[in-house]
Amino acid sequence: MLCRDGFLPDALSAVSGKGIPGLRVVPESIPSECTVMEQVEAGVSAVLNDVIAGLLKPLTPEESATSRAVERPARIVFKGNLQEVNRFFYKRGWTDGLPLIPPTEEAVAEMLTGMDLPPDHLVIRCPPRYGKATVERIAINAVMAGALPTYMPVLIAGVQALLESRYYMGQAVSGGSWAPSFLVNGRVRNDLHINYGLGVMSPGDIANATIGRALGLVVKNIAGIRKGVEDMGNYGNPGRYSLVIAENEEESPWEPLHVQQGLNKEDSAVSVSHPASIIVTPGGGSGDTSANGLLKSLCYYIPTPGGAICLLINPTIARILAGDGWNKRDVAEFIAEYARAPLYQLSHYWVSGISIPRRAGIFQARETPGHKGMLINVRDNPMESVPKVSSPDMIRIFVCGGSYTTIAALLGGPQWVTKKVELPANWDKLVAKYRDIVPVYARY
Amino acid sequence: MDSQYEVLSPWAEADPVPLRSISPRLTDLAGKRIGLFTLTYKHASARVNSVVEKKLKERFPTLEFSRYDRNRGADFDASKDAVGGIVDPLQDSKDLARFEDWVNKVDAVIGAVGD
Repeated sequence: MLCRDGFLPDALSAVSGKGIPGLRVVPESIPSECTVMEQVEAGVSAVLNDVIAGLLKPLTPEESATSRAVERPARIVFKGNLQEVNRFFYKRGWTDGLPLIPPTEEAVAEMLTGMDLPPDHLVIRCPPRYGKATVERIAINAVMAGALPTYMPVLIAGVQALLESRYYMGQAVSGGSWAPSFLVNGRVRNDLHINYGLGVMSPGDIANATIGRALGLVVKNIAGIRKGVEDMGNYGNPGRYSLVIAENEEESPWEPLHVQQGLNKEDSAVSVSHPASIIVTPGGGSGDTSANGLLKSLCYYIPTPGGAICLLINPTIARILAGDGWNKRDVAEFIAEYARAPLYQLSHYWVSGISIPRRAGIFQARETPGHKGMLINVRDNPMESVPKVSSPDMIRIFVCGGSYTTIAALLGGPQWVTKKVELPANWDKLVAKYRDIVPVYARY
Repeated sequence: MDSQYEVLSPWAEADPVPLRSISPRLTDLAGKRIGLFTLTYKHASARVNSVVEKKLKERFPTLEFSRYDRNRGADFDASKDAVGGIVDPLQDSKDLARFEDWVNKVDAVIGAVGD
């Protein structure tokens, strides 16, 4: 197997996880996704002897092995003070770099009160390692993240939604640096004080901060996706610390996301996708705060998203749009139609999965000298405008944020997957126990 | 800071995966049939395999090649005896059968990630 040299740990982990630790991997230095045949020729030539050796060199005993020691981690892995525990976990690669709460038996037991499922209940096996996401293992990671027990139902639904996403694996390990993002609907938003107002994506709310953090630790410690080993995110993404947002259903003129996704309004839900970036349009609606002006401004500022797009529209703007007769679907259809770019800007846009070429019907795969398989313009008008978003179905709208005249968007990733949050029987009592954990800022 | 904590492991248990050895290596390449496995959603994968084929053929003229592409992507070459598939051959039973049939007809396989 030939793979880019920087991907060697990833390749070795992938094949080992499939039970083939002896697979011969030849690292090469061809630029990623290379389209220039001269560079491919040079890169292959440099490692051709290694490729031949991979075919001919007799197997070593390690490569011939058909058994290995079974990993049986101890239940108690360490004993020490706060600093020692933190350093032990960090050196094991079990943290996100931030300090953690020690997951003692007592702390985990309290976390488990947030769900009326037995600790050994298997929620799901998480690829690529197929680690067992039991309720207890999720709770251990939740304690580390600083989560409250009442977050457990959301965490379990979050894990389920993550794994249900068709492209979870591809997004979680991709060089594209996608960040798992979680949108929350239903009564749990208020029960857990999940922010949906001003600064919804900023630090400062324990639920928004620790639900995403806990799910990030689950991906690392249960699924086994570690940065630079399985996670090859090229630039990484600050959203991987935590990107959890709730919808302001009370002030929204539109039906909430989870209802659009097929659940009942009374349900609580978590929706997941993996956007790669966030944009915020300039303030003041770029000089026109009418519905028409706001939408036209949005059309200009939206780049080609590389998948789904979730518009974050605050209640003030949502009401302006709704007052002018727009619903969520109308907005999505407008953006899909009028967010456009000249063809020359997209003429080498090769990601066929985004399906802009198919929708527009103007690109097709064609070979050109030295550029096999590029999607090229089969019309001949470089100034022709083409849509930047493949379909209104790829657009979701989520009402949240403060009242300032800007619109934000989570760009990229697969379609949002929504999972219902199952609440334990004693939910109201639990909520009451932790409800007063809120920041109160002193005036100065 | 002096409080002592006994802490549980966040690292999940996983069922052991049965180990499989890679196939015995070839003793020489003369007249052998090499399979080239392409991940067609990585566009450089087919290009790398094309060059691997060309370079190996230059060095070992009696080598033959057969391609397996995960789907009929841009670099699919109908002149080769490639087998098309749109899903992971290890996860879809129908495609797995076609994949195994292809594997059984080659002496060795070279894969290219292209990433």
